[in-house]
Amino acid sequence: MSESTQSAADPIATPGELTDRERAALEALLFRLADDEFVLAERYTEWQIYAPTLEADLALANVAQDEFGHARLWYDLLCELGYSEAELVWERPPEAWHHSTLVERPFPEGDWADVIVRSYLYDTAERIRLAALEDSAYLPLADRIRKVQQEERYHREHTETWLERLTVGEGRDRVAAAVDRLFPHALSLFAPGPRRADIEALGLRTEPIAEQRRSWLDTVVSVLESLDVSVPEPADASPSEAIGRNGCHTDAWDELHDAFTRTYHELGGPDPVSLRAGGGGRGR
Amino acid sequence: MTADRSAGSDACPHTEYTDGRAPDAYPKTGAGATGVEGAIWDALATVQDPEMPVSVVDLGLIYDVSVDRSDGEGRDLRATIEMTLTYSGCPARDVLVHDVERAAATVPSVADVDVRLRYSPPWNVEMVTEDGRDALRRFGVSV
Repeated sequence: MSESTQSAADPIATPGELTDRERAALEALLFRLADDEFVLAERYTEWQIYAPTLEADLALANVAQDEFGHARLWYDLLCELGYSEAELVWERPPEAWHHSTLVERPFPEGDWADVIVRSYLYDTAERIRLAALEDSAYLPLADRIRKVQQEERYHREHTETWLERLTVGEGRDRVAAAVDRLFPHALSLFAPGPRRADIEALGLRTEPIAEQRRSWLDTVVSVLESLDVSVPEPADASPSEAIGRNGCHTDAWDELHDAFTRTYHELGGPDPVSLRAGGGGRGR
Repeated sequence: MTADRSAGSDACPHTEYTDGRAPDAYPKTGAGATGVEGAIWDALATVQDPEMPVSVVDLGLIYDVSVDRSDGEGRDLRATIEMTLTYSGCPARDVLVHDVERAAATVPSVADVDVRLRYSPPWNVEMVTEDGRDALRRFGVSV
């Protein structure tokens, strides 16, 4: 930050007030938020009818719906910048998605500990990420944060309760294995992107991402260690080239992307064929 | 007040009956509004949540009603309605926004309606009016 005038960024109330530089930074920030939520929700829905108890099944389905709702909040802000839903979700090529690889990884079959560890790592990060947006200079974004935080509180309660249950007895080994497997991917949540400096200098986010990473590590390491689960050294757990944030993903992503866009393409894109004969639409 | 989420009621399964406090000035019910604004509030009071027999006004979802008179007091007024949702992922969002828009458009001098979604202050169950609470209790929701 070279100018002191940047320290208290002027609030921006509408998309029309954005400079090109602000707009590019805001888009980068929104795509990361939205893509993380959307892809995580996609993965969560795979557990419907398979979760270990009916209660857990309903809880996770509700969490998935919340995350889809939050993705919609962030995609809506991108729509206000001129994007269409088709461009944002259904027609966007896989390499243009910028979510963290944590959210795209497939679940080892039947491994509930993976869901809980993944949720724990993600939701703890989300709380920290959202807190830094409550006073964002972009007011339409700031307006939405407290509502989302209100809902996220339930997710953390759910996950933390399960984490404690699973780390008593033999479940701990599964939790430990999931931490080893997922932790390198979770680190990519805080991998800075090319617009990081602008996002921070323009006041779109009020806490530097490096600080966020530090406070996330402080929390997750101390909580997991208190449950007798060891956490890899971050320096030794560096993810591969595929960190998601850079558009480079793990193999699992292509398959997942294909699965959730397939119906859209089968039905003929933004102008779907009619599901009933004579009902209008494009027909065959 | 406690919200009982496990009593087997028909409560909206998508709504978080979060305890909390209603911020000052909320809920807004249009009390004291007159003229076109008053007529719009009355029209909105007929719009029900698609999942519960309670109006969007009694649920405390309407945050503001305003009318642009910059072109005079004619018959082609533009109304702006700010509203929220109980829950950010509410699947009934488009239905609610549409119903609110249509209801406001029934007011004779209103030519154009702009419905804007707002999420601050975050809605909580304390923002339901007394009438809304009665309606929810009759419906089987413990509030």
